[in-house]
Amino acid sequence: MGLISMPDSILYWKGCMSRLRTKSIADSTMELFRRMGVEFATLGEEEGCCGSVLLRTGQPEAAKKAAESVIGKISSSGFKEVVTACPGCFRTMSSEYPLIAGQIPFKVRHISQFLIERSSLLKDRFRRMDVKACYHDPCHLGRHMGVYEEPRELIRMVPGVELVEMKDNRSKALCCGSGGGVRSAYPELSREVAKSVIGGELPGGVKLLVTACPFCNYNFKDACSGQIRVMDLPELLISAWRG
Amino acid sequence: MGSDDWLALKRDEFKRWMEDERRRTGLSRAVAAYTSAKANALSRLPELEEMRREVRKIKERSIRQMDELVKIAMESVREVKGEAYLARDAEEAREIVSELTGSGKLVVKSKSLTGDEVGINEALEERGNRVYETDLGEFIIQLRKEKPTHIINPSIHVPREEVAKTFSELLGRPVGPEITSLVGIARDYLREKFCNADVGITGANVVSAKTGTIFIVENEGNARFVSNAPPKHICLTGIEKIVPNLSDAFKLLQVLPPYATGVFMSAYVSMITGPSKTADIEKTIVYGAHGPKELHLVLLDNGRRRMADDDAFREALYCIRCGGCMYECPVYRVIGGSFGNNYFGGIGLIWSAFTTGEEKVAAAVDACTKCGRCKEVCPLEIDTPRMVERLKQRLVKKGFVQPKHGEIMASINEKGNPFGEDERADRPKG
Ligand code: SF4
Repeated sequence: MGLISMPDSILYWKGCMSRLRTKSIADSTMELFRRMGVEFATLGEEEGCCGSVLLRTGQPEAAKKAAESVIGKISSSGFKEVVTACPGCFRTMSSEYPLIAGQIPFKVRHISQFLIERSSLLKDRFRRMDVKACYHDPCHLGRHMGVYEEPRELIRMVPGVELVEMKDNRSKALCCGSGGGVRSAYPELSREVAKSVIGGELPGGVKLLVTACPFCNYNFKDACSGQIRVMDLPELLISAWRG
Repeated sequence: MGSDDWLALKRDEFKRWMEDERRRTGLSRAVAAYTSAKANALSRLPELEEMRREVRKIKERSIRQMDELVKIAMESVREVKGEAYLARDAEEAREIVSELTGSGKLVVKSKSLTGDEVGINEALEERGNRVYETDLGEFIIQLRKEKPTHIINPSIHVPREEVAKTFSELLGRPVGPEITSLVGIARDYLREKFCNADVGITGANVVSAKTGTIFIVENEGNARFVSNAPPKHICLTGIEKIVPNLSDAFKLLQVLPPYATGVFMSAYVSMITGPSKTADIEKTIVYGAHGPKELHLVLLDNGRRRMADDDAFREALYCIRCGGCMYECPVYRVIGGSFGNNYFGGIGLIWSAFTTGEEKVAAAVDACTKCGRCKEVCPLEIDTPRMVERLKQRLVKKGFVQPKHGEIMASINEKGNPFGEDERADRPKG
């Protein structure tokens, strides 16, 4: 997709994970936009790195460079509104860019915030899905950015989904174990943490784990796919969309 | 970067922890017991919300005037006929305590992280002293020649069957794995040591500068014995433990037990202001009535001043060592005592870095996901994840880079993504 500068349109920022690993999260997100009639564009292969990984692994100078480059790219594309389904990119851009690279001339929001604002477009759009589900609060989205309710409200919009809570949720939610560069340094540890979260936190009968972060999604799938079905928020909404 | 030893050792240690089902079970039982006890205590103590905020302010103030408080505390202790010392580093602390102890002595100890930090037991044993840990958990660890796994409950990873084995070896006869009888064995064995010891060594939870009062919080009653039965009491503690006065100390004491073990108040809080004394015969003061004749307070710097001077890490000194953030940490729950070095969990990484050396925790730092849960559960809301991020930055500058992180960094530089993928090459296809 090319760079189409349109004032009413949003820039969908995929983030490296959805761009290259959990591609179905990016595909579902874009499909959602299309079905909702939301005009959007992406930076395609020009997107690059938001710098989150660099900040977490002790490379502030490189992160600053990444931030400046991203700010430059987005500013010159003319978009005033950026939406992402990656909480790492979301936190880094909206709360850390201003600290390391100065004010940003655009607004950044997580997909759940964006969708809730347009919930009228989602009303009665979903078919029934009879399943007991749990939502996992991503650290970057929850504790670090204070977004707890929007994803839950969206999940509840799907009829038949019985949303129950993990033992520890919202600000007390347990990390999936893959953040902060741990997954690349000690993959086995990340998997063990994910397993212990699933093993100790889910109420009985839960068959679906809804994530709202490509990193959590990837790690839980990798560690626990035998035990539970894992879907990211846009994936859930697309799979429940009435044809 | 030179050798990868810093990494290899820690990797092995993590692996051993992850694969040790018994340790994992012990740990998860402890976590479950702790979290439910704490939740119960906190729900019944709504006033703690206000109190913990006050304690944060007390600590902020105390650390700001730490040097001054050290002086005041030392003067106050001397005024009540105790002795006070300031040890700049671990070596000085070992020297002072060894000098005070002498050689060929029987020494009893209550649990002290500061003691572990400077390696006091080893130093005293080298001089031909016999040293007994008297906190049950520490006693078990000492007999098993293991390292502690938690700052409040050092032996949480050792199940009762293992304790029975260890005690059987100690007594030279078979011992059953019933917990009550195991506790009884430790009690009988150590009782004689308390009474015959020449020196008792404790740490402190708080020190009130104005009055020179040492506070020791515990549940077993062993610290009370250690600080009371032998003729000489040496208290070794960090300079960050000093608060201006008694009311400040009492506030801290109310916050500590619920967060540490989920109780309203610990069974024993000993307040010690000077050595034991009496003036019952002709109003003449004699030191060493029923308690110790000598009291020595050894205050330890060992990196604490450096922490206080450093805007990026000062907050770590506010830690009251409740240990809550360790039990609440998703990573600690999996790798327990290998997540740190002497001090554990995220906050432990910072403490270890400043007191025992950055290189010793360089690899463990990369096990922290910076998820922020520790900050959320900390009574003082200490921003540990931010400090860990900063510590990581320093370590990277010194060359402690995970090979995988190095690759990611290079890939981001060259290809704009962390996976080493050539996205632009895909363009014709897309
Ligand atoms: S950092 Fe906070 S929660 Fe952790 S041990 Fe210190 S005071 Fe307790």
